[in-house]
Amino acid sequence: MQTQVVVESDRYPPGDLAIWIFILAELAAFGAFFGAYAFTRMKNVEMFNHYQSMLDSDAALINTFALITSSYFVVRAVASIRDNNNQGCVRWLLAALVMGAIFLIVKSQEYAHHINEGITLSTNTFYMFYLSLTFFHFMHVIMGMVILAAVAVKAKRGGYSSQQHTGVETGASYWHMVDLVWLILFPLVYVMR
Amino acid sequence: MKKRVVLGIRACTWVWLIMMSLTLVTYLIGQFGLGGLSASLTVLGFALLKGQMVGDYFMGLKRIQGFWRWPVSLWLFIPGGLVGIAFTLVG
Repeated sequence: MQTQVVVESDRYPPGDLAIWIFILAELAAFGAFFGAYAFTRMKNVEMFNHYQSMLDSDAALINTFALITSSYFVVRAVASIRDNNNQGCVRWLLAALVMGAIFLIVKSQEYAHHINEGITLSTNTFYMFYLSLTFFHFMHVIMGMVILAAVAVKAKRGGYSSQQHTGVETGASYWHMVDLVWLILFPLVYVMR
Repeated sequence: MKKRVVLGIRACTWVWLIMMSLTLVTYLIGQFGLGGLSASLTVLGFALLKGQMVGDYFMGLKRIQGFWRWPVSLWLFIPGGLVGIAFTLVG
């Protein structure tokens, strides 16, 4: 038996087209935020650099590893369902959810630390951007985990097959968007100075 | 047996490992206190490369033809370009 890998071209991305319109809207909002951060920083470079150096970059590294790995696990979940392997799909989705939970726990600890130090949105311009950007993204992680959990429950009940798995691809596309945004956010807020 | 594999898992595994490695390098650049324009643009370049990899391999856009092939790349190019310009202008 020989397995051939055939890569076919499509006109539309995986999943429901509606989620892609939603994804583009979300990316546009984050893109505007990133541009605003970079251009505001131009007038306050020293202040931005100073407060950026006080952030916990170890936590950011763990969170970046967690999100990249969760995205990879979601890729495996999609591959499993395309092989008609519902149980495999559920297992990979649960693994991705664990990675998402790690992100939320680590980020919550960072927020708790900031709250204990009395840091708020009005502390200064850097923290205004840092807190709004990361919390906006934090909410998207929660939303993505709810979607992945719903997909996992349906997969567990045998709701998807190799022929019909648009729901899995839709949830996966949203989750990859959450990862994509963090990949830019991490160096911009924690590293670039 | 002919099997249709839309996403090459082996390719995605390599992409995952490359992204983890680039992330570690980015972190180390920050840890060693490397600042300035060249370090910032290098880190930004890594981020845009990782973003393109997510779009191409994880989202599966590499095999898409037509309009939907480009929005993620365009998103990386425009905000990424703006960030690059802003950092370049302040040196």
